Amino acid sequence: MAQTWLISGPPGCGKTTWMLNTLKNHQGQRGYLRLPGISTAGLEQADDGGIDQTYLQDQITDLIDLSNTDQAPNDQEQQLNLVELTQFEPPSSSALEGVDSSVIQQLEALGLRLDRALHFGRDDDLPKDDTLEFSRLEAWSMPLERCVWDPNSLSSFWFELVNGAYGDVYRAKALMNLPDGRAFFCNWMVSQGGSQFLPLESVAPPDGRPKRCSMLSVQGKALDGGGIQATIADCLLSDEVLELHQEPQRQQAELTQAL
Amino acid sequence: MSHAVISCLHANLAATEAVLADIDRQGIEHITCLGDLVGYGPQPNEVVELIRQRQIPTCQGCWDEDIIDGLNSCECSYPSQLAERRGHRAHQWTDAQLSEENKAFLASLPMTVRRERLLFVHGSPNSQHEYLLPDMDAFAALERVESSGADTLFCGHTHMPYVRELSGGSIRVKVKQAGEEAASERKLELPMRRIVNAGSVGEPRHGSTEATYVIHHEDSDEIEIREVAYDIERTCRAIVDGGLPEVFAWRLSHGFEYAERADDASHVCER
Repeated sequence: MAQTWLISGPPGCGKTTWMLNTLKNHQGQRGYLRLPGISTAGLEQADDGGIDQTYLQDQITDLIDLSNTDQAPNDQEQQLNLVELTQFEPPSSSALEGVDSSVIQQLEALGLRLDRALHFGRDDDLPKDDTLEFSRLEAWSMPLERCVWDPNSLSSFWFELVNGAYGDVYRAKALMNLPDGRAFFCNWMVSQGGSQFLPLESVAPPDGRPKRCSMLSVQGKALDGGGIQATIADCLLSDEVLELHQEPQRQQAELTQAL
Repeated sequence: MSHAVISCLHANLAATEAVLADIDRQGIEHITCLGDLVGYGPQPNEVVELIRQRQIPTCQGCWDEDIIDGLNSCECSYPSQLAERRGHRAHQWTDAQLSEENKAFLASLPMTVRRERLLFVHGSPNSQHEYLLPDMDAFAALERVESSGADTLFCGHTHMPYVRELSGGSIRVKVKQAGEEAASERKLELPMRRIVNAGSVGEPRHGSTEATYVIHHEDSDEIEIREVAYDIERTCRAIVDGGLPEVFAWRLSHGFEYAERADDASHVCER
């Protein structure tokens, strides 16, 4: 029988990283599902926009998308299904009875039944280092599909973003495309020393704009969405500039093939 | 006698006033300015007029040149597209603000100012756009000073104050003349040369938000690097009120250059 675990916790506590490591170390089939978080008064949920799903799918190519009931069975022998849920407050009980009824209903609709529920900051099986308590949190996000960044501009923008140029940012994560076809999972949390910039395994061909998921999701206080948007507009490459990057890549690929 | 050297004011009136007040308090009468009176900052006319009013000998900086000759006069590459767009926006804003009289003053500025064996430039003796970084190759650094005929070269442009002494330099020349079997060799020992960077009054990037300049104590030939606190909030308000990008105020108040990352001033202009 498959095992299905609910992994919950506040934003930026390390859910995705822990799930990636756990899934990578699991020998059997692996499934993943991200549920929309539950907003409470003054605490807005971020729009993930598929960032975590895309990153995990990139790192574990045979990862079963549990939201797609047509994709694959979710109850194979030794299959481990991890369900991610952003939840600010710890559940009322450590047992499965503490799980919100709306979560149970969503899982049942997908044919899933929980075997275990773990919450960051409460359960000893999970790391506690980055678990923060929030009293108020705004969320801001921007879809960036088909957008490609000037790499040095991305570096400057991210530096400004996480250092407070656009409000008190507590949490920022993104998937960003670069002109050489690579994409980076950018990850920052106020409690951590620095940002993570993790390259995706998949590289887009030098043939126009990449089609993969791309998104910026920010949480914090007094966020200046207009300022973020204006700076991003100055960082993204035009079709003409992108082509200047991609043409030599195509020529190099042709040369390599000819050899 | 002592004289003060200031550079890279960048239209920051509050910082310029604070530095001039610090110089006045020490009874220093001679001041030399290494240019970049304008650019990025919110009060270009006020800063230019203050320098004109005080009759401070000034050489032309890269921003002073660009605002006269247009952006295309500078082929210096920005470190990123973001920096380039912000730089262009600041250029257009400054161009629209600056009076014709003040533009004419900037156009009249010389590339260099010389006082005996002291040479004052914005970037390097070769160009207002060339960075003499503190860790540049020693031979190249010595060449810049020696070829300009100076003992001490005062420069700005990098926004990081430093004093670099270049000692132990020598030139070895081997000449073989017609009719001689062996080449003759001569070796010239060069006296110590010095590069002094005055930092920046209006856009510091030395790890602090305080304005910097230098004092040359001529009697002892010693250089003193000065840091001066100023009313940054006043300049930040002027940035926002003037319609410049608000992120400029954030960067200035945190000690970062307006349009570049603080740890990335290493690009070398090839102009």
